Amino acid sequence: MKSVDFEVSQGITGILGPNGAGKTTAIKLFLGLTRPTAGAALILGQEPYVSIDARQRIGYMPEHDCLPGGLSASEFLAHMAQISGLPPEEARIRSADALRHVGLHEERYRPISQYSTGMKQRVKLGQALVHDPVIILLDEPTAGLDPAGREEMLDLVRRIGTDFGISVLLSSHLMNDVERTCDKLIVLEEGEVVEQGTVSGFTQETEAVYVEVDDNRDELLAELQRMGVQAALEGGAIVVEFSDEAGYDHIRDAIVASGARLRRMGPRRGTLTDIFRHSAS
Amino acid sequence: MEARGEVFDLGYQHYEGPREGRGRARKALWIDGVRTSLGIGRSAWAKIIPGLFIVALTLPAIVIGVIAVQMGLQEAGIVDHSTYLQIVLMFMLFFTAVMGPELLCPDRRDMVISLYIVRPMTMADYLTGRWLALFSLTLALVYLGQIVLFVSFALGSNDTPGYMRDNWLDVPRFLAAGLILATFTTMIALAAAALTTRRAYAAAIIIGLYIISAPIAGSLGDPATCNQEPTPGGECIPIAGSATPWIALLDLGQIPSHVNKYVFPDSGDDLPIVASAAELNPVVPVAWYVLLTVGSGALLWRRYQGLAR
Repeated sequence: MKSVDFEVSQGITGILGPNGAGKTTAIKLFLGLTRPTAGAALILGQEPYVSIDARQRIGYMPEHDCLPGGLSASEFLAHMAQISGLPPEEARIRSADALRHVGLHEERYRPISQYSTGMKQRVKLGQALVHDPVIILLDEPTAGLDPAGREEMLDLVRRIGTDFGISVLLSSHLMNDVERTCDKLIVLEEGEVVEQGTVSGFTQETEAVYVEVDDNRDELLAELQRMGVQAALEGGAIVVEFSDEAGYDHIRDAIVASGARLRRMGPRRGTLTDIFRHSAS
Repeated sequence: MEARGEVFDLGYQHYEGPREGRGRARKALWIDGVRTSLGIGRSAWAKIIPGLFIVALTLPAIVIGVIAVQMGLQEAGIVDHSTYLQIVLMFMLFFTAVMGPELLCPDRRDMVISLYIVRPMTMADYLTGRWLALFSLTLALVYLGQIVLFVSFALGSNDTPGYMRDNWLDVPRFLAAGLILATFTTMIALAAAALTTRRAYAAAIIIGLYIISAPIAGSLGDPATCNQEPTPGGECIPIAGSATPWIALLDLGQIPSHVNKYVFPDSGDDLPIVASAAELNPVVPVAWYVLLTVGSGALLWRRYQGLAR
């Protein structure tokens, strides 16, 4: 990472970027596993590689496997709570609570080796939550999950950030995950921050309109361009950009002239994909 | 009469209790290590091997103790504390060779270690906690047998207070000898466990080293193993000549015994290779012991430094 400057505040913040962008390095810096060669990475106002006790209030869910197959989830979480500094009795109570919150209350006494991938991901999340951290760092929490498991995991992450009041830093290369879950976004590429801001800021309505027709799409596009309107194909639709109210009249006239049958039309919202398009261009 | 009740979901509750930091983390790791070594909280199968070792390490002391009490110490004419260490040494070597990998390998293989080092715990805390778990258990097993022996000898003598008065020095001696033995065997076991994530491979490495080094040192390091060509006077010339006591130091399992020779200077039941190594300047076996113990610790530390990044 080079010349990076960003701040993670309350709520759910996503770190988005392709593989090798520096997402895992950022998390390692905040966990104190790596020292910055210049500058500082502070978490809860402290340097994690100096202030070991600050780690009592940090939760971490790694992307890779990290669970002992021979133990039950209940025993494992109670042990991890103690390693985070909780007394044994409190650790047992918190273990049961954390497993209930991640939806594993009934299965908590079974050995982890008998769990499905989705259940293991929940145990991983549970161990990050068991000691009631102030902030949780999640590295690709939906990795390896099927669509249903992914939805459930993202809902859980959302609940942690909103209902539980725990700040979340979520690292992912999946734009949809970040778009659905996060309030704020930091986009990394080749070790640099290319964008940062609120997710709603990136996905707000634009001044463009998308138009989907059942037939004569090429004729419609040609007609729009003949009228001097800025229009282009995007996926299966035509995106029309204009800055005055007359734009809608042009679209109406072009549809009539081309004989196209209108299926759908509406204001186009920005997507996180656009960020990468812009940075690539 | 109908019983009614309501279940309330209080939602997520923040933890307001004490946070005991690094101290609690270290203690929890030590307790977990002892429990893992003994198979506590694990399946019945996991308890069998530690159970067998505990029996093997304490049963000789109990048998000797019962004989001493029943027959009387003088009539029994049995082993002393130094010889007892020799009797249980092989079990002790195997115990640490099996239990050391049990403590380290699964954490690396399952990558649980990545969760430890992001908590209030450094890599040094982790390694110290694991080592202390194995060390304390090994020490407890060595001391248990020695304490049983000492008490039995005292009870088996005609004059119990007199026995204790005359032989009180045996207590600090067997405490020191236990420390020397436990420190060495646990360090070697953990260093070998740091080389692989497979418990069986790590145990095989250590046991293999003990087994291979023993006959080499036992044959070439024993001054009674004579050259085929006797001297005209029929004198035995050891095969390794003047290097014989040095070769005696190669038996990895006997290295603590070479040092304990100086802890129990009056013991008359030394193995031939222990007696052979005792011909060297005492600094040599002690330095060899320290070098291997510290070297094992350094190897362990170096392997785990790579994991922390």
